[in-house]
Amino acid sequence: MTARILIACRLVLGALFVWAAVAKLPDMAAFAQDVANYRLVPALLVPFVACAVVGVELLAGAALILGLLVRPAALVLAGLLAVFTAFLSQALLRGIDLRCGCFGGDEPASWWTVARDVAMLAAALAVARRPQGAAWLRRKAAMTRSASSG
Amino acid sequence: MSLILRAGLLCASGVALGLLANGFTPRPAPLGQGVLASAEQPGAACEDAQASVARISVREAKPLCLACAAAFVDARSPQEYAAGHVTGALHLSPGEGAETILPRLRAAPTVIVYDRDRDCAAADRVATRLQAGGIRDVRVLTGAWPEWLAGGGPGESGTCSLCTAGTR
Repeated sequence: MTARILIACRLVLGALFVWAAVAKLPDMAAFAQDVANYRLVPALLVPFVACAVVGVELLAGAALILGLLVRPAALVLAGLLAVFTAFLSQALLRGIDLRCGCFGGDEPASWWTVARDVAMLAAALAVARRPQGAAWLRRKAAMTRSASSG
Repeated sequence: MSLILRAGLLCASGVALGLLANGFTPRPAPLGQGVLASAEQPGAACEDAQASVARISVREAKPLCLACAAAFVDARSPQEYAAGHVTGALHLSPGEGAETILPRLRAAPTVIVYDRDRDCAAADRVATRLQAGGIRDVRVLTGAWPEWLAGGGPGESGTCSLCTAGTR
């Protein structure tokens, strides 16, 4: 049962991050502006950070969906989510009115967004702790085969 | 290969992928150029001549302050207000009740609201509430607090004793 929940977490997390990256790709300039509006990244580094976030989201999300490098991918996404949570919280505490930039579009930053990130962070950590990836599925299938043949 | 090393390699590949993808997107992030926060860009919403609340520049507002011909309202946080504000300004954050300071503001010919940021979002919200409370001539200070400081406008520090006196 736990394994199924973790597989579902892995697939949903992967899909969410691939979706988030794909939604930002057509307008990277807008996402760079969203990053700048958090006022934590030096202006010159903003475009680089925006590109890095989108690329990492895309690659780590795809890795989770495909079940490859599950533990490192989940760990990277957990780190990313921890940073997102910190960025969003400081902006809300400082009273900065801004778009969250999470999935492209105009979604405003709110404590609901922070709660969503914390839930996703918990899921990413759970997946990183017990990665149920392709290797795990292959091992399980082999064990099932050997048990049935024996 | 250790977990950290694999995570690091994944990150590095992701960064490379992001930079590559940026080269093919219709609206790329401007690598090599700085991107300022919207509120810090020249011509930000604070300078919007079409805004629903009238604007006033630091150059116009400073003589009104020196002549005590306008009341100032600080729309920043109480901590920012205490650290430094326009001399004689009252404090009202967007989430606070305006009832306490409204009688005092009604006596002023002009009320000038100022913000921390050049987007004037908080000042606009406070100004709209003051208008709804019956204050006729409400204006938002363009350039906000940073420009007031840069323009040598008079300032003082301390909490707002007048804001809590009276009805509260």
